[in-house]
Amino acid sequence: MMKFDVVIIGGGLAGMTAATELQKSGLKCAVVSEGLSLHNPSAREFKTAGGTLLNGDSVTGGTFKDGRLQSVTTQKLGDVSLEADNFILATGKYFSRGLVADMDCVYEPLFGLDVQYDKDRSTWFDPSFSAPQRFLDFGVIAKEGKALKDGETVDNLYPVGEVLCGISSSQSDATDRIRLSALEAVKSIRRI
Amino acid sequence: MQERNISANNFEQCQKCSLCETVCPVMKNNPAYAGPKRSGPDGERYRLKNGIFFDDSLKYCLNCKRCEVACPSGVRIADLIQQARIDFSRQAPKLRDIMLASTDQMGPVAGAFAPVVNFTLGLKPVKGVLDFTLGIDHRRTLPKYSSQTFVSWFKKNAAASQASFPRQISYFHGCYANYNYPQLGKDFVAVMNAFGYGVNLLEKERCCGVAKIANGMIPAATRDARTNIASFRKSVAQGRDIVTVSTTCTMTLMEEYPELLKVDNADVKDHISLVEQFLYKAIASGKVKPVWKEGWKARAAYHCPCHQERLGLGIFTLELLKMIPGLQLTELESNCCGIAGTYGFKKENYKVSQMIGKPLFDDIAAAAPEFVACECETCKWQIEMSTGVPVKNPVSILAEALDLEKTSELNRG
Amino acid sequence: MPDNKDFDVIIIGGGITGAGTARDCAMRGLKVLLIERGDIATGATGRNHGLLHSGARYAVKDSESAEECIRENKILRSIASNCVEDTGGLFITLPEDEDAGFGLDYQKKFLEACNKAGIEARAISPAEAKSMEPSVNPALIGAVVVPDGSVDPFRLCTANVTDAALHGAKILVYTEFLDFIREGDTILGVKVLDTRTGVKAEYRAPVTVNAAGIWGHGVAQKAGINIGMYPAKGALLVFGHRVNNVVINRCRKSADGDILVPGDSVTVIGTTSTKVPFEECDNMEVTPDEVRLLLREGCALCPALATTRILRAYAGVRPLVADDSDPTGRSISRGIVCLDHETRDGVKGFVSITGGKLMTYRLMAELATDAVCSKLGVNKSCQTADTPLPGSVDGRIQTNSKRFEGKPTLGQKSAAGRQGDLVGKIHFESEADKQLVCECENVTLAEIKYAVKELGVRNLEDLRRRTRVGMGTCQGTLCIRKAAKALAEALGDPSAAPKLAADYLDERWKGMRAVGWGDTLREMEFMQRVYKFEKPYSYDEI
Repeated sequence: MMKFDVVIIGGGLAGMTAATELQKSGLKCAVVSEGLSLHNPSAREFKTAGGTLLNGDSVTGGTFKDGRLQSVTTQKLGDVSLEADNFILATGKYFSRGLVADMDCVYEPLFGLDVQYDKDRSTWFDPSFSAPQRFLDFGVIAKEGKALKDGETVDNLYPVGEVLCGISSSQSDATDRIRLSALEAVKSIRRI
Repeated sequence: MQERNISANNFEQCQKCSLCETVCPVMKNNPAYAGPKRSGPDGERYRLKNGIFFDDSLKYCLNCKRCEVACPSGVRIADLIQQARIDFSRQAPKLRDIMLASTDQMGPVAGAFAPVVNFTLGLKPVKGVLDFTLGIDHRRTLPKYSSQTFVSWFKKNAAASQASFPRQISYFHGCYANYNYPQLGKDFVAVMNAFGYGVNLLEKERCCGVAKIANGMIPAATRDARTNIASFRKSVAQGRDIVTVSTTCTMTLMEEYPELLKVDNADVKDHISLVEQFLYKAIASGKVKPVWKEGWKARAAYHCPCHQERLGLGIFTLELLKMIPGLQLTELESNCCGIAGTYGFKKENYKVSQMIGKPLFDDIAAAAPEFVACECETCKWQIEMSTGVPVKNPVSILAEALDLEKTSELNRG
Repeated sequence: MPDNKDFDVIIIGGGITGAGTARDCAMRGLKVLLIERGDIATGATGRNHGLLHSGARYAVKDSESAEECIRENKILRSIASNCVEDTGGLFITLPEDEDAGFGLDYQKKFLEACNKAGIEARAISPAEAKSMEPSVNPALIGAVVVPDGSVDPFRLCTANVTDAALHGAKILVYTEFLDFIREGDTILGVKVLDTRTGVKAEYRAPVTVNAAGIWGHGVAQKAGINIGMYPAKGALLVFGHRVNNVVINRCRKSADGDILVPGDSVTVIGTTSTKVPFEECDNMEVTPDEVRLLLREGCALCPALATTRILRAYAGVRPLVADDSDPTGRSISRGIVCLDHETRDGVKGFVSITGGKLMTYRLMAELATDAVCSKLGVNKSCQTADTPLPGSVDGRIQTNSKRFEGKPTLGQKSAAGRQGDLVGKIHFESEADKQLVCECENVTLAEIKYAVKELGVRNLEDLRRRTRVGMGTCQGTLCIRKAAKALAEALGDPSAAPKLAADYLDERWKGMRAVGWGDTLREMEFMQRVYKFEKPYSYDEI
C-alpha cells in the first residue's frame, strides 16, 4: 500500500492540470497515466514539485467503503494499492478508454460509475463527418463535481475533463472547459 | 457473438496514433528504421498476409520497449517486432552475436582467464581485431570479467551462515553479478542479511536469455527459460520468493518468457520481485526496519532504465532511495542510454547508440552528481563510458548507506 | 454533334460487366465508348465478397451455374493472375447443420454434385481441415476442399478498362446516361451529362449495350422496356486483418453470412440478402440487425471473429432479374441474362446484359459482344479467355518486386502485389516518392502519382480503389490529409485538397458508423480529433 493525499487517474490535460495544482499546493499526489503523459511540460513541473508519475501503468479497479473510494490497484504495482483521501478521474473518452462502448451501451470501465448516453445507437452519429457527433457528448455524470455510482454520490471521487458528459473535444472551447473542470475539482479538494 | 469489437489480437488495438514513434530513440537517429508502429502492428498485418513483407530493418529495434510504455492502447509493440524477427529472419546469428549473447557460456571461459582477457580486451590492437573480425565496435569499453565469480565467492564465504536467518529468499543473481561484478552480489547478500533474509542460490540458474532472444538464438533461450522456471517452482515450493537485481533479467523472466518463448510462468510470476520492490514493501509494511548510517551523505541522480520503465516498478526504487536521509536525489528525465544490452556493442550500431544516449549524457553532465543511481548493468557500462560519472546500483547504495550492524540487530527476530 | 456514327458500340456501365464487354468488343476490333456515371467498379462490382467461386456453392441446386463458375474460375486464374489469389476453399459441416438436414448425408450429395459439374472437390477429416485452416470452427464434423480463391474486383475491373483503352476504347467516367437518341424503333445513341462539368453531350453508335447492373432497370425504362429487376441488398463486414487464409463456406443450402473470404490484407464476411426499393440503391446503410446476423453466422464459421476488430460495413445491390418464362414475374432467373431487345421488345440497336455474377463477368461480356457483333455483322471470335490482362502477364509479387533496383522497400513490394507486372511503370525517383502516404496499406507517393497518371484517378475514392489508400486499420485517420495533398498536387490543383479529404472522410465515416463501438469507436473519436478539432495529440508534429 502506498499512501497519497490525492491519486489522479489519467495523465492527460485534465489530469495533469489538477495534479500539478494540487502538488504545488502541498498535497502529495500520484498520477497514473496509461501510456505516456502527453503533457510533457506539466508532467515535468509536476515531478519537479515532488509528484509521483506512474507512466505506462493503468488503474485496474478500486475498493469502495461507505460511499467513498478507498484505494485503487494498478496493473504494474500488483498487490501494492494506492490509497488516498481523494481521487480524480481524468480518463478521457473512448480513445483513452475512460469510456467503453459496446454495441448498445456505454459504460465507465474502472468503477462502473453512472454514465449518460443514448440506448438507441442510431442517434450516436451524424452521417456527415464534420457535423457534431452525439457520441462525443456521452460521459460520466457528476453531481456537485462528484461522481455517481448507482445513483449515490461517491464522496471523494471527482470526474474531470472529457470523461464527463457534456465535455468533448468537439467543442470550440474544449481546452478551457477541460481545464476549468480540473480546477473546480482542485478547489473542492483544497477546501476539505 | 461479438458485442465488444475489442480485438483479442493485440496488434489490432493499435489506433495509429503514432505516439510510439515520438518516443522511439532509434527512429530519431537512424533513418533506415521504419519505427515501432510500422515495424510492429502495421507490419504484422502485412506479414500475416504474406511473409515477403517481413522487413530487414526490424533488426535496428533495440527492444528498449519505450514504445510499449507510451502506447495508450497497450499494444506490445516491441514483442511484435521481436516475434517477427524470430519467425521470419532467415539470417543465422553471426559468431559475434553468439559470443555477445552467450553471457553464461562466455563468462566461465573469460572468467578463468580474467586478468588476461581484461588486459587484452583493453589493448587497442586487440579491440581492432574484434572490430574487424567480429564487428564489435573498437570504441567500446568492454565489460570486465572478474577472476572470482559471485557464485564461487558465495559458496566459499556466505552460504554456510544463511540458514540462521529468520526469513529465506532465493537470489537470481544474473550473469552480470556473477561474472562481471560480483561486488553487486556481495552487496545484495549483505543488505538482505541485514534485514534478516537468508540468501539461497537457485538449484540451477541459467542466463535469463535476453541477449539470446535479441540475437535470434531462440531454442537456446527457451532451454534456459525452462531450466530457470523449474528452479523457481522448486524455490516457491520451499516457501522462498525469488529476488532479482537486474531489471532486464526481471522483465525477461516476467514478460518475455510467456510472450516470446512461450514458456509459462503464471504460477511463479507473483513470487518474483525486484530487490527494490521487495525491500520497499517489507519496510513500508513494517516487516523490517532500516537503520541508516549517521552522517552518510551523497548527491545522486536517478536514471530509470528503459526496461524498468516497462516494468513500471521504478517508483519502488525512488521511494526506497528517498528513505535514505543523507541522499540528495534528483530524477533524470526519462531517456534511453542507447546501449540496449548487446545492441550498442555491435559495430553497425555504435554511432546510433551514442546518438541515442546523448540527451541523457547531457542531462547527467548538467546535474553533475557524485554518482548515478541505476538498476541496470548495461546502462552502467554505457553511462560510465560516455560520461565518466560512476554508476551505482541501488543495492550497493543501500549497502553503503545502511548501518548494517544495527539494522541486522533490529531485524534478527 | 454530327449525325454520322461516332462509335460501333456504346456500353453503359463501368462495372465489371461493362468493363469486360468494352475489352472484348475492343479486342474484336470495334470502336468502343464506355460511359460510367461515377468511377469504375462503384456499384455491385466493388461491393461484394471478392470470392473466386469454384462453383461448389451452386453445384447441388444449379449445375449450369456451377459449371460456368468452375470454367471461369480456371480462366481467371490464367488471365488475371494478379487479381486472383489461390487460397483454396473449405465447405464445412457443423453439428447444428445435421439437425437442419444438412449433415454428412448432404455433404455426400454435395460432393457428387461438385464432381459432376467438374469441380475438384474432396472430403477431408475435421483434423485435416483444422490444420489446413487453423481458424476454422473446431466443432466441425466434416469438410470438403474446393478450388475457391479470392479475387480483387477493383483490380480486375481496372485491368479490363485499361486493356480496353489499350485496344482503342474510349472510357468516359463521371458521365451519366440521361436518355437515348431514338428514331422510331431504333436506338441511335445516348445523351449524357458530364457530372463534374455539367456539360451535356450526345454519342452515336449502331448498338448500345446496357451493362448498368441494377441501374440497368432504369436505363431500359428510358427505352420503354421493362426488364423486371429486383434490387437485393447484400451487407458485408470487413475485419481488420487476415483471420483465415482459406475461404470458409458452410456446406448447406445458401444462407446469410455463410462465406468468409480472405482478401488482400483483410477478411470479409457476407452476405445478407434483402429486397430493397430502387430509391435505396444509391445510398445503402447497413443496419444493426444485419451486423448482428453477420457476426453470429461469421462466428459459426470462424470463432476468432468474435474477438477480431471490425473495420467497417458495406452493402451492395445484386441485380436480380425476373425470369422471362414466368408470366407472373415472381421467379428469379438464375445465371446470365443477355437480352436482345430487337427480338424481345422490337427495339433495334439495344442489348442488355445482366444477372450473372462477378465470377462470370467474362462470359457475360463474351455473350454480349457476340450479340453486338452479330448485329454489326462482324465475324471475329472472342480472345478474352486466352489473353492475360495487363498486370497479370506475370502476377507474382516475388518476381515483380525484383523489378526494382536494390532491395525492394515495403512500399515497392506492396505496389508489386497490387499493380502486378505494371509495377515497372511506377517511378521511384526521389526519396519523397518512396515515402509512404498510407502506412496501413504501404502506399507510396510514387504509386499515387502512377495511379493518377495511368489509372484515371479523380478523387480519393478512385484512388482507394486503385491502391487501397485509406483501407487499412485506421481507415484513413493517419493518411487522408497526406493523401489528399498528394492527389491534389498530382492532379495539378493543390487547392482541391480539403474538398477531396472532406468527401473521403464522409465515405469512410459511413462504413465505420455501422460498426461504431469498441475499438472502432476509439478510432472514430481519434479521427474526429485529427481532422476536426484543435490538436490535443499534436498530430502535425508527429
